[in-house]
Amino acid sequence: MRTRARLVAAGAALAAATLAAVPDPAAAHGLVGRQDLPIPRWLFAWAAATVLVASFVGLAVLWPRPRLQQLQERIVASVPRTLDVLAGALGVALFGLVLYAGLAGSQSATANLAPTVIYVLFWVGLPFASVIFGDVFRAINPWRAIARAVAWAARRIAGAGSLPEPLAYPRRLGRWPAVLTVLSFAWVELVYVNRTDPSQLAIMALAYAAVQLVGMSLYGIEPWEQRGDGFAVYFNLFSRLGPLRWRDGRLAVHRPLEGVVGLTPVPGTVPLLCSMIGTTSFDGFSQGQTWNSLAPDIQRRFLDLGLSADTALEITFTIGLVVMVLLVGLLFRLGVAGMHTVGEGHTTEELAGKFAHTLVPIALAYVVAHYFSLLVYNGQATAYLASDPLGHGSDLFGTASATIDYGVISATGIWYVQVAALIVGHVCGLILAHDRAIAMYRSARDATRSQYWMLAVMVSFTSLGLWLLSAANQA
Amino acid sequence: MTPILAHFGHWWQSLLYLAPVVVVVGWLSLQAWRDSRRSDD
Repeated sequence: MRTRARLVAAGAALAAATLAAVPDPAAAHGLVGRQDLPIPRWLFAWAAATVLVASFVGLAVLWPRPRLQQLQERIVASVPRTLDVLAGALGVALFGLVLYAGLAGSQSATANLAPTVIYVLFWVGLPFASVIFGDVFRAINPWRAIARAVAWAARRIAGAGSLPEPLAYPRRLGRWPAVLTVLSFAWVELVYVNRTDPSQLAIMALAYAAVQLVGMSLYGIEPWEQRGDGFAVYFNLFSRLGPLRWRDGRLAVHRPLEGVVGLTPVPGTVPLLCSMIGTTSFDGFSQGQTWNSLAPDIQRRFLDLGLSADTALEITFTIGLVVMVLLVGLLFRLGVAGMHTVGEGHTTEELAGKFAHTLVPIALAYVVAHYFSLLVYNGQATAYLASDPLGHGSDLFGTASATIDYGVISATGIWYVQVAALIVGHVCGLILAHDRAIAMYRSARDATRSQYWMLAVMVSFTSLGLWLLSAANQA
Repeated sequence: MTPILAHFGHWWQSLLYLAPVVVVVGWLSLQAWRDSRRSDD
């Protein structure tokens, strides 16, 4: 009981600290105009919490048995092998184009194709596409395609049996390379002062591809892609929420959310998901009023140590990024520790792994809520960048003079999409947690009691997300 | 303390986002207390 009381107090304190630390982030890389809302923004947070509590009660009453634990999929089509090859070739061609544009094109961030492709289409567009169409990145993954082509050629030249067997992928490495990838990408996007420099982006992309090719050659293409290739892991997680699965030349259909239930909780899985949520949160936070009044004070301390302004700023933002990821991790850990008090002998490590998949829809909800406007508005830049990828004044498809239409969706419309994404994402998290709990706990009462804690986690994440967005819209 | 209070008008609405969390955590505390009473009995 004392442990539980301490947890409750710690949870309340953490939630208060989290919210106090996260006030006025700006539009999180998106553009948001004036909104015309019928009720105050904070009332949306109350409404969202009410929906979550109602969902929780509904699940406890109407969902008495596990329904998602067994993947029930139906093969609906076979995929020709040539399509696989063509998709890989397309991925390699696009990757080559981005590299060429970055290195040889104009070094203006808006005129060059590379920054928009990397930050908008790749980082934001692909999660959307993955949920809707399945794991599309796996099909167009350029380093996977290159590795497969090299392996095919090597087998033809040296003979199938003469190539050395790849090493076994280290079990303890798990998804840690993906954690490193997500944190590194977020660092470049949110902290690095030359983040929009096309040539620097191209060089980093090239370096990443080289590391992947080395990893695939050492540990095998499939094992490395499933664990070590951070972007492949990241997009695959989102694809598991949708109903489509492409595997072994077949297209299978299953119920939404079912795919993520089978997520293996190898080492690094929880840190990866916390990094995904935490970095998106920091994206919003870093543009808000509070961070922008706090950051100069922190930066000054590093300037006093004799560091340059840029370095001091990068260290300041790095601290903010890391703290936000840790806060998200702590919030999840508190929920897990709360579940642990329910009993039945489940360790906190076991519980963290078993419930890690419930964070995937939350990570997607944060991506949608924070980057939807970026995709809708800046994604339109693809039209003129496709005609003039280098920014040298060409007009390949006659669309070089296209502009971004900011009237395509209103600021109010964007707000409703953001709120809906957060609510749906967290309700999905609750569904996944409830289904797992009733499969794990012997008594239905203990399963429900364990989920009080996940409800608190979900309400905290929802309030945090809405606060970030609301403050962003006011900044 | 004074600067915080001076800017109260800017941040007080942020507290309203905390309310649902406080309510849920409060409810959790109540449940925990009831459970402990039941087990004591």
